[in-house]
Amino acid sequence: MTDFLQLTFSGLTTGAAYALVALGFAIVFRGTRAINFAQGEYVMLAGVTAGALHQWADPPLAVVVLVVVLMGALCGLATEVICVRFTRTPNPNTITLATIGLGVAIKAVVLLVTDRQAYTLPGFSGTSTLHVGGAVLDAQALWNCALVAVAAGALAAFLRWAPLGVALRASADDGEMAAASGFSRRGAAAWSFALAGALAAAAGAGLAAVSPVNYDFGTLLGLKGFAAAMLGGLGSMPGAVVGGFAIGLMEAWFAGYVSSTYADVVAFSILLIVLFTRPTGLFAAVKVERV
Amino acid sequence: METRRFSPRRTIALALLLSTAPFALAACGSDDDDTGSGSAGASTASAQSDSSGGGGDPIKVGSLFSVTGPPAVVGDKMRKGLELAVDELNEAGGVEGRRLEVVFYDPAGDTAKAVDQTRRLISRDDVDVVVGGGSQSGIALAMQPLLQRADKLFMATEGAREIVQPADERPTTFKSTFNDTIVLQRTADFWNARGVRAVGFLPDTSGFGESAKAELERLAPEAGIEVQSESFDPTATNLTPQLTNLRRANPQAYVAWTTTPAATTFLKNAQQLGLDRNLLGLGFGSADPAFYEQAGAAARGALLSAGKLPIYDRLPDGDPQKAIITRFADAYEAKYNEPANVFAAQAYDGVQLVAEAIRASGGELSGEALAEALEGLGSYQGVNGDFRYTAEDHSGLGVDAVAISEWDGRRFVPARDGLTE
Repeated sequence: MTDFLQLTFSGLTTGAAYALVALGFAIVFRGTRAINFAQGEYVMLAGVTAGALHQWADPPLAVVVLVVVLMGALCGLATEVICVRFTRTPNPNTITLATIGLGVAIKAVVLLVTDRQAYTLPGFSGTSTLHVGGAVLDAQALWNCALVAVAAGALAAFLRWAPLGVALRASADDGEMAAASGFSRRGAAAWSFALAGALAAAAGAGLAAVSPVNYDFGTLLGLKGFAAAMLGGLGSMPGAVVGGFAIGLMEAWFAGYVSSTYADVVAFSILLIVLFTRPTGLFAAVKVERV
Repeated sequence: METRRFSPRRTIALALLLSTAPFALAACGSDDDDTGSGSAGASTASAQSDSSGGGGDPIKVGSLFSVTGPPAVVGDKMRKGLELAVDELNEAGGVEGRRLEVVFYDPAGDTAKAVDQTRRLISRDDVDVVVGGGSQSGIALAMQPLLQRADKLFMATEGAREIVQPADERPTTFKSTFNDTIVLQRTADFWNARGVRAVGFLPDTSGFGESAKAELERLAPEAGIEVQSESFDPTATNLTPQLTNLRRANPQAYVAWTTTPAATTFLKNAQQLGLDRNLLGLGFGSADPAFYEQAGAAARGALLSAGKLPIYDRLPDGDPQKAIITRFADAYEAKYNEPANVFAAQAYDGVQLVAEAIRASGGELSGEALAEALEGLGSYQGVNGDFRYTAEDHSGLGVDAVAISEWDGRRFVPARDGLTE
């Protein structure tokens, strides 16, 4: 029983990371109908930057987080410039492809600049741990779960009620119509990439406090986050959260009870099953199309 | 009526298909980068071209290290170690009255490129010996048959046992590095000295970890130690499930075997689970102090199974390695302004061993003659240990070269029972 609880805590810790990445996929998909495959590298970049900043100047942690979140938003805007504006015919497919290239470039630059160094942050509340039923929970895992809840809630509310959020959804749904009403498709893309960048940065800071981050950290995380987003239903905020935690938990249980060597197979097996049987994921709304 | 509606299914399928493309592209990309440096070629770096090196033609030392590409961190140190050794030898008048001249190529972690460069070393550059197998075991393995056919002595500075085994089929190939076998053997002796009977072992799923897993599971029964293993991906960010499984058997020691920052995660997770009442240790792939520093308080008292370089200034004065490591570490730091590490020492030892062999063979440079000379050296005290090559063993180092060190919160110090008496 203690073991089960311990594995569950472990699953929640990694699940929070997948959920944050999946939320990034969701918001970009909402704004552009594209898949931002650079999302994992954003998280890595933010984690490395946060760790380097901490090591170099040692400002208060809140300042570190604030700086990387701002930087993340700027990176998001830069992505939009590179992947949407510079593309001759921006459509979801070309944007998706451009983000793959960008992801590879980010990884290469970080490899060169950091010389393969790994970086880490202290826990947001020190190294404290909680003991529940004989199992141990890293306090940082709670911080990261809280981060997921706040991010998902804020994003869902933003899209539902904020005028800009509504415009984002409208633009993704029918760009020409939204443009005719005065909201440009590119504006939508810029906003969604900026939000995704800020989200990734928060995730990066939270993760650097759990385990060291180096240039190689983002790729697998990004792909697993993508699996989580697909499982939940691409574009759905609750779906991203549920998908992230579901994959984190299944991985931990699989590692604990079946085989730790092959635990990474779990996320991708789920991805394949979802693609074959229910490509819209668990939470996707049925879309009514008028012709 | 709109004909081109967005189809999520198609976009995703396309995206998945193409997401594999960057890996291929990245590989091509790095190829392109380096053909430049490769074909512009061979930097013939003889540091002392106008020095007192003595008459006669120089002895040409071919060398491949990946100073760019994935193994760059390792390759950079190896190249510096090699340069230091060559400079020292040339300043002392060369070997058998002849200067050493290095012909260097950078395969950038690419085996195909390394094979090309090795052919060039043999046919165009006409080198006499080769030191350095591209900073990656796979590359050294690919270079080995080419150099053997050309009857060149090949001193590999890479780790895998298979580079030199079986020795009777690889008569002219040697290496100047630790086998994981002896590191694990020494660690098992240490466990015995500390009364450890059961061990939880966490190898990563790379070749480095897999090889250690096989070796430990082979030698543990002889040492009377029970080993349970749980593997993990090298990029893992959470080793709690593995540790949770291992602790069911109540081991008195936990050891992780990896070259990635997962080493830090291991120490942190083990402390969170309260397992640091037991012995926590890492293998020689984690000899970088950064891994311990980043684990903070969780690293205090954690062990390291590696060579004696991290603790050279704390060795007892009677230790035969102390003098040579001190001299090497000081010279390296003076020249490069950074602390030396095990990879630099491997290349340094490689060059010095080859020089010893050339002296012993009286200047005869064929692979066969040099191999015979190396096997006849008896004992040579290098930075990484006492090399004793024989016709059966082309690795040379024994368990006495391995030390168990302990992280005291700021640096490595010798652990109790950590040094061979």
